[in-house]
Amino acid sequence: MRVPMRWFSLFLLAGTWTSVGSVACVRPVTAPPPTHTDVPASSVPADPFASGEARARTPIEAPPSVHGPAVLVQHATVMTATGKRYSPGFVLMENERIAAVGEGDGPAVKEGTVVVDAHGRFVTPGLIDPHSHMGVYPVPNTDGHNDGNELTDPVTAGLRAEHSFWPQDPSLERAVAGGVTTLGVLPGSGNLIGGRGVVMHLAPHLGARAMRFPGAPEILKMACGENPKRVYRELKRAPTTRMGNLRAVREAFLRAQKYARDWDDWTRKQRQPPEADGKKKGEDKPPDRDLALETLALVLRGDILVEWHCYQADDMLTALEIADEFGFKVRAFHHALEAYKIRDVLAHKGVAVATWDDWWGFKMEAYDGIPENLALVTEAGGRAVVHSDSELAVQILNQAAAKALAAGRIAGVKLDDDDALRWLTANPAWVLGIDDQVGTLEAGKRADVVVWSESPFSTYARAELVYIDGQKVFDRAHVGAPWSDFELGVRAMPSRQETK
Amino acid sequence: MRRAFRLPGLGTLLAALLAAPAGRAEEPPAVAIVHARVYVPGDHPPLEDGTVLLAGGKVLAVGTGLAIPANARTIDARGKVVTAGFIDAGTQVGVVEIDGERASDDTHAHTPITPGLRMMDAYNPRSVVVPITRAGGVTSVVVAPSQGMLGGQSTFVDLAGDSVAEAVVKSSLAQHAHVDDRTVESTTGTRGGLWFELREALQDARFYAAHRAAYDANGVRQLSLHREDLEALVPVVRGEQPLVVWAERASDIETALRLADELKLKLVLAGAGEAWMVADEIARHKVPVIIDPLEDLPSRFDRLHARSDNAALLSRAGVHVVLSTFAGQQARLLWQRAGNAVRLGMDHDEAIRAVTEAPADAFGLKGYGRLERGAVGNVVVWSGDPLEASTHVEHVFIRGREESLETRQTLLLQRYRTLPFVHDGSR
Repeated sequence: MRVPMRWFSLFLLAGTWTSVGSVACVRPVTAPPPTHTDVPASSVPADPFASGEARARTPIEAPPSVHGPAVLVQHATVMTATGKRYSPGFVLMENERIAAVGEGDGPAVKEGTVVVDAHGRFVTPGLIDPHSHMGVYPVPNTDGHNDGNELTDPVTAGLRAEHSFWPQDPSLERAVAGGVTTLGVLPGSGNLIGGRGVVMHLAPHLGARAMRFPGAPEILKMACGENPKRVYRELKRAPTTRMGNLRAVREAFLRAQKYARDWDDWTRKQRQPPEADGKKKGEDKPPDRDLALETLALVLRGDILVEWHCYQADDMLTALEIADEFGFKVRAFHHALEAYKIRDVLAHKGVAVATWDDWWGFKMEAYDGIPENLALVTEAGGRAVVHSDSELAVQILNQAAAKALAAGRIAGVKLDDDDALRWLTANPAWVLGIDDQVGTLEAGKRADVVVWSESPFSTYARAELVYIDGQKVFDRAHVGAPWSDFELGVRAMPSRQETK
Repeated sequence: MRRAFRLPGLGTLLAALLAAPAGRAEEPPAVAIVHARVYVPGDHPPLEDGTVLLAGGKVLAVGTGLAIPANARTIDARGKVVTAGFIDAGTQVGVVEIDGERASDDTHAHTPITPGLRMMDAYNPRSVVVPITRAGGVTSVVVAPSQGMLGGQSTFVDLAGDSVAEAVVKSSLAQHAHVDDRTVESTTGTRGGLWFELREALQDARFYAAHRAAYDANGVRQLSLHREDLEALVPVVRGEQPLVVWAERASDIETALRLADELKLKLVLAGAGEAWMVADEIARHKVPVIIDPLEDLPSRFDRLHARSDNAALLSRAGVHVVLSTFAGQQARLLWQRAGNAVRLGMDHDEAIRAVTEAPADAFGLKGYGRLERGAVGNVVVWSGDPLEASTHVEHVFIRGREESLETRQTLLLQRYRTLPFVHDGSR
């Protein structure tokens, strides 16, 4: 669906990585801000944002020009995350996309197609972890790469995690070996508004920008509760309390409202016909660009998705009240250990819950976590998502879903394996605004595919083959030199290949 | 060998036990868990259709085709699995409620050299973490100081009992020395300096042990530690109490082995991310190694060679491998650590031993970690393979008594199982 274009969407459309489609898929959750006046796209003048934003998204690295052969995975149990399961089933990947998926052996094999006999194996979409700090808090933990939290101001909305992301982080390869193909990489939670996150597609590149997931919308990391107030209490400045947190957030959005209004006014003036005295439009200087306010104004317009770190039920309710006050939507609460207490509200509001399977107790606001959280949110009709927030847990995301599935079933929640698979694929794809591209095994979607040794809901399951855009990025049978330059000559004998 | 698990003279023993006087009413009732797959000690494969008899707080018998005492409570465990209660050899259970709240965190002293510190004195058997851990099939834990060059003495507890006295099995189990990057920073600032200080402390303890009278008469040279700390190290330097060295880097592990040779210490290694690189050396020294098999990242400079198959490689080299969560609140997930060790190449039954017999043997805990006659009645009934994610714990017995699986978390679930929750005191 094509949506009315506004000045803010202009530069999204101008960006290399975006399309009308990705903007459209973001829109429906976002109420138009009340101050806005729709105008035909053609009458909007060029503005300094458009070229600036486009340049802020264009990688200097050339995209790969060679595409590998088509791949047909057959004789497997194919779990699609659409509610359909094919056993035996096949997946055909061609030109970066899933060409076909279904029951049986698949279409006649064309010359040059690589055929993978996955008898006894399970096939799923690539897993998506919407909450990661890999790359911005890489391993090893060093002062030199401590780039995840800009703890100099509680509101740093103008930052981009992309600019801290170290593509040589050795943990990235291990995540892929766990079947993960896409990450939402976020700034840390030390700030109330930490900055823009970035959706990363996990094929190795030398620069961060080239790893951006094509067409993914921008996302914003926010944090409520303990972390920001703890950080700034130590720094002896505001905020040091929850009320201090909320004041700072409201003030930031008040400024963003004014900023958006100033740009709207200027834009409207540009569209007016020349005055009777012959004064031409466009002579007023545009307002100064402000990276932080620009980001927040885009949130108000619904063009940037809000990913809000929040644990307690009361903190989430307060956050939703603030969002309503300013007219923006929360895409997902992250961590959200008490989501089960307000799952009806979250389902009604269409806010996703990205959380762990059973973490709890590491701080006061995490004290009420229970293993049934994901199941209960699902039962209430909410959108539940497994996230890791950890370079260790990301390697066994599938086990997290398996444990939450088991906990839910014991509690009497009716869940099938596809529900749990959606916690790992389709639902996080929605959280990151890329559900039109990945998250299910359907013809036309990007060919992000994992072949598992057994059901991904077994502790013993290992990802054997991982494809991103139809290209094999991991093959357990042929683990070669490490991706990361850092690990060259470090991870020594015996062979890097894990023990069988 | 199967007959080994039958109990000769069972009838006599049973009669004696069951005829116990009424005055012992506090003793748990006899229990027969029948038709289960039962994991028995050693390399023996699990018994199929096995029976485990509990009475008087102990394992009375384990075997197939055993006679069931008439008054025993019978649990039909067909299709289910019975193991000894899991033992986590490196936890902070009961010494931290909420990590982020310092007031509830008693995991370590805030100075690096406190060998006299006893974790028993901090252990809280009423912690909400205790029932949560137990509900994960863990019946006993080593509660160890989480930091410190000589961080203090761990304690070994059963996750039951209404008092410290009841819970504690061995008050002073082992001394714990952390020699990782963090400890280096909090002590001398260099690795060599840390080992120097550690060696000096142990040698001073040796000297002290040999010159106690002179020490008390103020007749000895100045020593690096206070009397209480020296006293605490005496069993260590006599080789009676294990010294658990928490080291990651292979070279630190080598240094620990050297030091143990030199001072004749009873060494246990923990952490040990790079242990696989010196596996043969560790095996030769017959030193047990406690590891978390999910810790596979080069997260610090002292574990750049960390690998996901550390457990499998060590086990294959003949090292005595113990698996642990190294956790407080999440020690309940010991089964998952063992399961992942299997995923990453370790033998399945060996992984089960690595959370039952192996920790017990590493610390000389007689009667623990084994389902055999006379063992402590710490037994878990699992709905299936204990290491599978879809399995849940059905029964936990500690010292022969069934423990409730209710936790603060199950109460929260109950309270919010249906919405809206209105507080009227009913749930």
